[in-house]
Amino acid sequence: MSESFWKMGVLTAATGLLLAGSALAQSGASFKDPTGDDNGPGTYTYPTDGVYKRGSFDMTAFDVKVNGKKVDFAVTFNTSLEDPWRMGGGFSVQMVFIAIKTGEGGFKDGPPGTNVTFADGNEWNKLVILSPQGPGKVKSEVDAKMPGAQGAAVLIPTRVKGSGQTISGSVDLDQLGGGDPSKWGYQVLVQSNEGFPDGKDLLTRKVNEYEGQHRFGGGTDTDCDPHVMDILAPPGKGGADEVAAQHEMLKYTCNPDGTRKSGGVLKMVYANK
Amino acid sequence: MKFSRRFAIALLAGAATMAVMAAVAAAPAHAVDGQTMIITGEDYTKWLWGNQHTDGSVYNFTTVPGEGYGDNGQGTEIDLLIASHPSKNVEVTGRIQSRFNQNQWTNYAGFGGRNPALENPPAGPCLGGACGEFDPRSNEYIKLRGLTARFTPGFKWLDAATIGSTDLGMFDPYTIGKIRYIDRDNAKAVLFQGPVFTRKVTYDLIRVSLPRLFAGPNFNTGTYAGQDGAYGLQLKVTPSSFFDATGILERVRDLEVSATDTGNNALDNGRSLASRFKNDVYGAKFGIHPSSKFDFRGLYYYSTADANPKYDTPTSFGLSGFSPALAGKVSDPLYKANVDLNDPFGVGLSFNVEYFNIGAQYTSILAARREVDVLLTEGHDGAWVFPGPDNSAFGVFAGNPTRIGYGGWEGPAQQVATLSVDNEFTDFEEPMAETVIGWKGITVAPNWTLGDLDLSGEYTRIDYNTNWQAWGDASRGITDSIYPNFESDAGVSSYRNAYAPFQDKKTNIAILRGKYLLNVGKGVDVFGKVKYIGETDKRMNDARFLPYQAGDCPGGGAACHNNTNNYSAGHSSADLYTNPPVITVNGITGYQWKPFDSLSDDDRDLNYKLFQLGAGYQLTGNLYGSVTYERYNVDLKDGNTAFQAYNLHSMASGTNDKNKLILYAHYTFGAAEFGANYEYNWGTFTPDFGGGFVTQYADAGIAHDFGVPVGSPGFKGRFGGWNSLDKRDFKQNRMKVFMKVRF
Repeated sequence: MSESFWKMGVLTAATGLLLAGSALAQSGASFKDPTGDDNGPGTYTYPTDGVYKRGSFDMTAFDVKVNGKKVDFAVTFNTSLEDPWRMGGGFSVQMVFIAIKTGEGGFKDGPPGTNVTFADGNEWNKLVILSPQGPGKVKSEVDAKMPGAQGAAVLIPTRVKGSGQTISGSVDLDQLGGGDPSKWGYQVLVQSNEGFPDGKDLLTRKVNEYEGQHRFGGGTDTDCDPHVMDILAPPGKGGADEVAAQHEMLKYTCNPDGTRKSGGVLKMVYANK
Repeated sequence: MKFSRRFAIALLAGAATMAVMAAVAAAPAHAVDGQTMIITGEDYTKWLWGNQHTDGSVYNFTTVPGEGYGDNGQGTEIDLLIASHPSKNVEVTGRIQSRFNQNQWTNYAGFGGRNPALENPPAGPCLGGACGEFDPRSNEYIKLRGLTARFTPGFKWLDAATIGSTDLGMFDPYTIGKIRYIDRDNAKAVLFQGPVFTRKVTYDLIRVSLPRLFAGPNFNTGTYAGQDGAYGLQLKVTPSSFFDATGILERVRDLEVSATDTGNNALDNGRSLASRFKNDVYGAKFGIHPSSKFDFRGLYYYSTADANPKYDTPTSFGLSGFSPALAGKVSDPLYKANVDLNDPFGVGLSFNVEYFNIGAQYTSILAARREVDVLLTEGHDGAWVFPGPDNSAFGVFAGNPTRIGYGGWEGPAQQVATLSVDNEFTDFEEPMAETVIGWKGITVAPNWTLGDLDLSGEYTRIDYNTNWQAWGDASRGITDSIYPNFESDAGVSSYRNAYAPFQDKKTNIAILRGKYLLNVGKGVDVFGKVKYIGETDKRMNDARFLPYQAGDCPGGGAACHNNTNNYSAGHSSADLYTNPPVITVNGITGYQWKPFDSLSDDDRDLNYKLFQLGAGYQLTGNLYGSVTYERYNVDLKDGNTAFQAYNLHSMASGTNDKNKLILYAHYTFGAAEFGANYEYNWGTFTPDFGGGFVTQYADAGIAHDFGVPVGSPGFKGRFGGWNSLDKRDFKQNRMKVFMKVRF
């Protein structure tokens, strides 16, 4: 009996392998991002706790693929993903906001806690969140912390997984309003999953003047500085010039009272421009 | 040595004072008016249910004497988190929390109860809330858990000075690791962090007070604890994105008032100190990162430890001791190398390779004890915990039932590089930690992403630095070991055992895992795993260690001659494996157990298979559920009745068929989260203890003590314990439900 049980198990596994080979995506957009630019405007540093491994917030590629009625999003990092906090999806410390310009108009304010805005003509229409937290938790945070219209434009994949160096998730093309994703503009904001966020922050980790055990350093202790570690920069080919372009977008100045004076204004990146 | 210690203390104390004073002086004066203090909190409530029907506390597991464990009860904790910036350069955070412990809802906040202070003679430990308001563990007490002041003075050489609670996460799990003992921030420390000349070199300098609860020989730090501490210095060098390196130095000093500084009005000129336990670790780690496709990391640490027997540290642990530190002076290295090949062929196929070698005597008393995983391998599984088939320790004696239960913990074990491995106060759905002291070997772990299919696996080969005869020192007796072996290496697995008197062990682990997103509805997560562990251990492999001379027990109902065989002057393994008496049962005369007369009598051969299959589904936007089935087929030969699991544990030779059904659900409702985990474990154990002995039958006393039928077959061992020869059927139901509300 035990022998037949094991034969059945091996047969089931083999069948699963055969079924697997089918899903290949058809079209979309691909971007590269330089390595070593996981420092926001050029000064940011990682938290000191050992779970924040080198390269954990260093995006190297971003891919969008149309897969039937779904659109797959994949963000690749310069490190193997780990799940030290047992979130269950194969990763723990990262969180990614994918802002998409699918058409005219949109929202200028970045997700709460990122302290960025989008330039005129670069507003986002849809925002996809790749978080290791469950979709219910992310949804409740969005409902509580984003204005109604913005929140309605947020899409949370049912399943987000980290595998190898890549975090991925899918949403329905219909939810994105249909159209051709290869023609849309994208901006990817790399943040860190914070289980105990500040009151108004959407599960984001703060950047302070000095890095702490669970805080980024190299910024300010107020919310004047953009709280993102890595973003896409045009033309999205991964060239060294994109490092400077990123630093330029995330450059900021502060008022004496700690509020933003200038900077932290992002632009969309297009695959075909 | 004395100079170094005093110098280090003086350096740290001076630096702390200077830094804080300088920070205060440098900081602009800020009025306290208008500062914001933020208070947030969490209500954490859990419900436990299980058919073991124990209710000693609202945790499933502990081995700590005097503490309770249980699989039934309801409990609620409050955790208040406080944060404030009284000035620009100063931040204070704190935490005030209650504990579940024995605060079941049925206590009604702990009124009345036994008062142990008035009991003469003492009526035993307070368990299950029996001492009500007279025991803090059952009167809903609230404790300060973490209070930290952090100063950021803006000096070029100092980023931050932190004084107070910490979880020590800035170092690493091999030296000063994250310490969780119920809470994660019980450690108190003074920590300085900053750059050295340039920001390409940074330092962490820390003085941590040594936890008197466990950080020393025999799990204590002696009688004088006020000056016990660990000092850590970490220098990180990052010259480029291609290369980084870290040097670490750790010094642990457990001090006592000198036993020789007495008389002659000794107090008049102060008292001298002496070391009870010293532990130094130094080493380095580095990384080479030429591209995102290739990564190489290496580390080497060397440890020394010295337990001073003049101050109540053991010189021997006998056959079965409990201590996170070895006896006497010991030293050993730990080294590891990792290579990551990230999708080198561009087809989603990556490889991780790890070589590891952890010395048998490697000691870092503050190494991480749980919640980290220092090795790439999955290791053993939480379903197999202690030597007995039911996961009991010392179960051959009456009164030692299983604590965590037949099902053990869920999932694979996490590996930690310490004897002080800690699974105390956990529930069944939490990960189990196992020690890897003495392990050496290699792991190759490929993972392959094929669209919606993720495949991963591993092959691990483990050899052991603890493969030796007579504890590696034939000049000492078998029951005179410097190594504490906790619950010993008998049975399928034992999470905190690293040593055995005789060992010749090799382990092979092979695993294939798969995850597939089935495009049905919102997408069904299908996952599964096949795991194989093959482990052989010849244990005693040299005839000179056999306990008695050849032919000592002639058989045929004749008594043994008891002519011992000494492997060295005055030492024989007969101290452990004594000869059996001759008995007659139902007209059959023979030995009560098989005489230990063959090297194969203690051989171990484990053939372990796990098959797992499960599926999960996002039922609604807020509700996720999954179902998992696991089947374990474990054939174990673990010596025969001559070996008797070191005379201390339930024998485990035989066939185990264990099944585990897990139902899991998670629901989010605004700021509240609910989780539920139900397990049904069932299976059988069919013993096979070999031959060469006369079967006995349980009388009324044995039946009462061991829960077996009167007249059922078995045998009594050397210490009188009972091993049943009946097939055993197991059924364990249990459930944990929790609620977390953040406010």
